[in-house]
Amino acid sequence: MRRSFLALVATLLLGAGLAGGSGTALATPAKEAPWLPEAASYRLTLFLGNLAPPPWEDIETAWSEPYRGSEFTQGALTWLDSQSELATAPLTAAIGRKDRQAVFAEATRLVARRIEETLDRALSSETPADAQRAVAMARQLYRAFADHISAADPDGARALGRAWLELASATGSTGVLGAGAVAPDRDTMETARAVISDYLGANYLVDSFAPRARLSAIPESVARSGADVDIPNTLPPGSDIFDQDPLPKLVLNFEEQGIDEADLPLIAYGDMLFDSPEIFSGPARELGISCSTCHNRSDINQRFFIPGASHQPGAVDVDGAFFNPMFNDRRNDPIDIPSLRGLRFTGPYGRDGRFASLRDFTRNVIVNEFAGDEPTPFMLDAIVAYMTEFDFLPNAMLTGDGQLTAAAPDAARRGAAIFNRPLAGLGGASCASCHVPGANFLDRKAHDIGSVQPAYDGARAGALDTPTLLGTVYTAPYFHDGSLPTLAAVVAWFDDTKALGLTATERADLTAYLETVGAADAPYEVFDDENTPFRLAFSELTTFASTLDTLLPRKDTRHILLLTDTVASDLAADASTMGNLAVRPEIYALADRLAQVGTAVRMGDWTAANAHWATFKSDADAIQAKAF
Amino acid sequence: MNTNPTRRRFLALSAAATALLALPVRAQGDILRLAFIPQENPQKLLGDIGEITGWLSRATGVTVKGFVTIDHAAAVEALRNGDADISFMGALPFALAEAEIGAVPLLSEVYRGAPNYTGRIFVRRDSGIKTLADLRGRDIAFADPISESGYLYPLAEFEKAGLIDGPGNARAFFGRMFFAGGYQQAMQAMAEGLVDAAGASQYADLLLSPAQQAEVTWIAESDTIPSHVVIARPGLDPALQARFVAAMLRLNEQENRHRLQYLYGPDGYVAADPAAYDGVRAMARRYGLMK
Repeated sequence: MRRSFLALVATLLLGAGLAGGSGTALATPAKEAPWLPEAASYRLTLFLGNLAPPPWEDIETAWSEPYRGSEFTQGALTWLDSQSELATAPLTAAIGRKDRQAVFAEATRLVARRIEETLDRALSSETPADAQRAVAMARQLYRAFADHISAADPDGARALGRAWLELASATGSTGVLGAGAVAPDRDTMETARAVISDYLGANYLVDSFAPRARLSAIPESVARSGADVDIPNTLPPGSDIFDQDPLPKLVLNFEEQGIDEADLPLIAYGDMLFDSPEIFSGPARELGISCSTCHNRSDINQRFFIPGASHQPGAVDVDGAFFNPMFNDRRNDPIDIPSLRGLRFTGPYGRDGRFASLRDFTRNVIVNEFAGDEPTPFMLDAIVAYMTEFDFLPNAMLTGDGQLTAAAPDAARRGAAIFNRPLAGLGGASCASCHVPGANFLDRKAHDIGSVQPAYDGARAGALDTPTLLGTVYTAPYFHDGSLPTLAAVVAWFDDTKALGLTATERADLTAYLETVGAADAPYEVFDDENTPFRLAFSELTTFASTLDTLLPRKDTRHILLLTDTVASDLAADASTMGNLAVRPEIYALADRLAQVGTAVRMGDWTAANAHWATFKSDADAIQAKAF
Repeated sequence: MNTNPTRRRFLALSAAATALLALPVRAQGDILRLAFIPQENPQKLLGDIGEITGWLSRATGVTVKGFVTIDHAAAVEALRNGDADISFMGALPFALAEAEIGAVPLLSEVYRGAPNYTGRIFVRRDSGIKTLADLRGRDIAFADPISESGYLYPLAEFEKAGLIDGPGNARAFFGRMFFAGGYQQAMQAMAEGLVDAAGASQYADLLLSPAQQAEVTWIAESDTIPSHVVIARPGLDPALQARFVAAMLRLNEQENRHRLQYLYGPDGYVAADPAAYDGVRAMARRYGLMK
């Protein structure tokens, strides 16, 4: 089960990008504040410029168009044209030449000059209000560099942080309705500004930058020193790894039968692994990306988007340059994220059915796609045990063997006849030949229906695994590349490309049938004052922890630590989503208690570990009783 | 004057955006004019105004128009001279507007179930700072010199504790006292260790990352502060005023709640209680902001 479905209200103005915290990865991302156009473009340039090969078209677009989700309607170049005296031609020329180092240098100098230009405005402002606005804007521009300075030069970052504080504080106040006005302290403003400008001059406004193997905003003085800097992985502006809204309903076979997951330790542990970034490494782990980030609640995360890795929301290139350079196939081939509902019925796995075994597929995801360490047999057993509990969404309009019930509309019945009719355009087969109604609307085979462009002349690589039609009302867009937005578009595609000769009415009827087959009685989780998102998260996390009842007696150090590292940090992070804020300190204390289990296990103190675990359970029960 | 951090983002009103400021239509009997204070991205604010005034027009049966003023003073001036009938502002600006032009409180914003909130003094959990007295000689960041929850009310806690005589000698108590420019900036400065404490809204820690939230706590909490208030000019037709209030209260209904996002995003509204502002009035006098 996925817990991090809560888009935190935190607006991280001064942080940079959707970043994982230091240390243990958090699976609960925080919503960030909007970026200024040029700062956003700079961060996108760094991110995209580090992909191999660099997606030059995307880099050009990063400057010419607003980033996805931007509150600004203009791209950075247009914005700068209206807001700044600075020339952008050197930058666009460098992009045109596809000169990575030159793009970095020009973009870095441009942002630094923008900060200087804005600070000039602050210092020459005649009113506190104007000065405050200019300082605030300069600070937002500085955000493009801030986290990398902190990583590379903590002392410098602190000095700059104090300078920004001095500068903001010295702008004075316009008061309110004429009362309480405070005049700017210009001497202090000048002094603070000098600290910032000196640093920018020495590190970001240099004539030439040392070659950067990895593009970053670390200060040039540090880059030239050759110091090894641990630059935090961040996602660029426009990224979205938040959970779906509304939250999909998760249908677990055991749960529908009234069996408590806490009584199924292997499955509960697999559930935890499904939510754990700890099983990956590199950017995925640091950013808090887990299986459920893309397959949240066994469904598709249709909002998932990472520039350079996604060509549209709900799609990702898992063998691209970002997650695991070792696995980079250097082909820009993102695919639409598939649903995992009914997973035990939908093998083989992978869009082209390349894995017969779910276990093999899962290992490939962990080790190759997301650069994780080799999972133990127990981990693979657990995660597969959990995923094979994913059931399809119940649908009262469909029988278990795929026939329409009396609840289905008439149009769907007419569509069913078309669906089962042999069609010349399909070589005498019917839709139902592959999407077999009595077999969950699939045939477990791969077919080349002409939806894949051959990679080279003569390529025979277009066969894709037949997808189920169950639940598809909620899984748009369609096809492996998400190129068709609606089920009606899918019907039209087949009619057009296979010359099926359907009338408009037949198309509508066939679409109605697909929409009936793909429907669900209750597709989304329903929250109310009792069943709150945090309560669901708390219940899930404490269920995960319950596997310690099995693991502690076995003194299974590796799997205990994987659990405590994952759950303790997530529990604390999810506390920030609580409606009942007064109980937050107790949640933090509970998270600390679980972390103490891990600390004791690391020290080999099993007595203390068991004692902390016992306390955790009693404290959790007490919170459960009073917090909701 | 700041209230809830999730609602009040202090994006600058850029010079270019001032060109977007609309001129109000002169008072008409069948038109209700709303003056908005620019606290959001101006482009977004103008879109929001269009959405909410369209709905209010339908809900009240009169034409509702909105325009953006340059600041609180301009909004109050518009109310005074009849260019605006209604405006939205914090408790302190309202108290001053009430004293200056007789502005009338109509509705209070509700946030997390209450039409009020508090200010707090936040510190890092590992700082060892347990009481306000521990902050003697230490550095603190407040939000803004005229922020109720981000300065005035939290500072009053130091007075209550007998640590300062009044705002005039606050700087002598602290090592350094900064006005960071907003809740976010004050909280970040504290969380990053640039200062030892921050004075901000009780909800300001929600502006930090989840990891940072777990690392901070608070050591003092102020009296309650009335939340933002919807005010009317004196002399507004009582019938028109009643229709507006009734329509605004319909925003509490489930089917209309999504429209709250176009009005600075409160959880809802309740009828304003004029007596709830007595504390703000007294605070304004104590700090010399009002006679």
